[in-house]
Amino acid sequence: MRILLVEDDAPLAESIAQALREEQFAVDIAADGETGAHLGATETYAAAVLDLGLPKQDGLSVLRGWRAQNRPLPVLILTARYGWTEKVEGFKAGADDYLTKPFRVEELVMRLRALVRRSAGHHGPRIVCGRLTFDAQMGGFEFDGMPLKLTSFEWRVLSCLILRKEVVVERMDILEQAYEGDAGGDSNSLEVIVGRLRRKIGHEMIETVRGRGYRLTAGAA
Amino acid sequence: MSGPLNSIRARLLISGVLFTIVAVVLAALSIRPTLDQFVRRNVDASLESQISVLARAVKSDGSLDQDRIQSVGPFVRRGAGWAWVVKGPAGVLRSQTVAAVEPRQGEGPPPWPRPERDRDRDRMPQREMRPDKPPTAPLKESRRWRSRSGWNESFYFRTLTISTSRGPVTVTAGAPRYIRDRMRDEGLRPLLLSLGVLGVGLLAAMIGQLELGLRPLRKLGASLAAVRAGEQRRIEGKQPRELDPVVAELNALLDHNEQALAKARSHVSNLAHGLKTPLATLAVRLAEPGRDPDGSLASLIAQIDGAIGHHLGRARAASPGAPGRPALPVRSRLDDLVAALSRIHAAAGVRAELDVAEDLYVACDPQDFDEMTGNLLDNAWKFAERTVRVTGRREGARVVLDIDDDGPGLTDEAAAAALVPGSRLDERGQGHGFGLPIALELAELHDGALTLGRAPIGGLRVTLALPARSAAEA
Repeated sequence: MRILLVEDDAPLAESIAQALREEQFAVDIAADGETGAHLGATETYAAAVLDLGLPKQDGLSVLRGWRAQNRPLPVLILTARYGWTEKVEGFKAGADDYLTKPFRVEELVMRLRALVRRSAGHHGPRIVCGRLTFDAQMGGFEFDGMPLKLTSFEWRVLSCLILRKEVVVERMDILEQAYEGDAGGDSNSLEVIVGRLRRKIGHEMIETVRGRGYRLTAGAA
Repeated sequence: MSGPLNSIRARLLISGVLFTIVAVVLAALSIRPTLDQFVRRNVDASLESQISVLARAVKSDGSLDQDRIQSVGPFVRRGAGWAWVVKGPAGVLRSQTVAAVEPRQGEGPPPWPRPERDRDRDRMPQREMRPDKPPTAPLKESRRWRSRSGWNESFYFRTLTISTSRGPVTVTAGAPRYIRDRMRDEGLRPLLLSLGVLGVGLLAAMIGQLELGLRPLRKLGASLAAVRAGEQRRIEGKQPRELDPVVAELNALLDHNEQALAKARSHVSNLAHGLKTPLATLAVRLAEPGRDPDGSLASLIAQIDGAIGHHLGRARAASPGAPGRPALPVRSRLDDLVAALSRIHAAAGVRAELDVAEDLYVACDPQDFDEMTGNLLDNAWKFAERTVRVTGRREGARVVLDIDDDGPGLTDEAAAAALVPGSRLDERGQGHGFGLPIALELAELHDGALTLGRAPIGGLRVTLALPARSAAEA
């Protein structure tokens, strides 16, 4: 799961990014509205965290721009402005959630996970695929009822697959969700990660769809 | 300016009344001679027509053609006082009135008898009127009567002198003065009455005009009052052209004030929001494992955030002070503040001494109380060498807190300046100047007081008094 964080205050952006990475998220930081608008319009993110008071282009207009381009990206507004008027304006511009500064990191993480889950079409927090269970709210995987230990990359790839279970997920989409903007991943590294995941949850659960990508499936069912 | 001239209405009214009176009086004065002239012309016409009738009766030899002598116009009215006299070589012939009283020689026109005395003679006008009666008095010449017209004290007359072969014949016709006066007065009375009515009418019109003219000013005043009461934002409605610049200026001033207020609010808002981002960073960093094991730092952040939010809200609402303030335990609030400040200023090594009883309560908004005492304590901490001392006691209906430090203190001038209301907002310098005005403002909002003095331990003593509450109300 890759998150776009649009925040001009560098210390805050770094702190949030670090806190989110602790929770397995991949994070791209945009320090101004223009960069944020561009990244959100061209890259694929699981969700965006958007500050409102931004240089070059303010947050609300960035958000309106995305919505005008029909970007479905879930957006959480993170701002010091806490008045109801501002909240209403944020939602009218197309925000999916709203959090005021200062905030608790856990709350931000929870809200982001909920946003991602809902945008993938899951109503409940638990997503089950065969013997594999994903607690989309707490972020934990269980296999046969036992917690599954995963690296960040493994978690990102597997969460991406389970959110769209039984559907072929394009290789490119998985890579975009797994790697941060400047890190860049390739098919080979993805194959390595998928191989490691197969060893943990069983070969048959992750199908390779030649020339396209991968599909997480309950298997025989 | 004072007195009646301090009012536009009075000024216009007084000047209007004066001008009207002067104008009416001048008109009245100028009417009188005009009317005199008019009346005289009238009288002249009557006299001349009588004279010309009589002149026609004068024959070339100076004798009178008795048949042609007759009275015309007003002369036929007996008792009216009109009279004529013809003097010539043949003697003197008078109208019936003349016959009774002879004019005294050399004294100008004869003193014609007054009409009321003529009344008895009115009964025999025809006979008297007839000039065929031979003159009873010898003909006497009087050079004084040769003037064409003139006055004696009670008579106006005109004279025509005709030359005849036997000498000059003078034909004189006259009217008593009172005739002229009566005619003039008859003309004058309605005219003066009209003038009076005109004057009164003008005054009434002026009052009405004042009423009408000053109404826009009253309306403007009401409009301004409505602006002040917050019922309207600007001065609305159509104004007379003359008031347009005033209204434009007033509206510009209102706009300017509004902008200044908006600017001030936006500054407050920017300050608050500016604080929130680093606060958020702080909160995120504190959330990292091991940084804040007991959560006390996070609760401080929450406290700061609460204070920011509170004042942001106040700046937005611009309606400070809520009714029904709870009874606030002073001691426990101060304990919390002192604990926080001890950490904030941990490096300074200042020791805090609290001598405040547990049972002191004040009627104050908790966040405002924290804001006041927090600012004051913060100042004390900044300036203290080693000790900050807080003593609290109840004095009548108030709780009084002395917040002392052992720092350099303030000079009397600096202390006075620190509390000047005007310096509240623009004092942004270091030290006492920042926190004191805020604390003072809040204290006043809560019906309290804040004074500066000298602390027994050497530095500044800030005395904060707030309305007391009993513990039962807590």
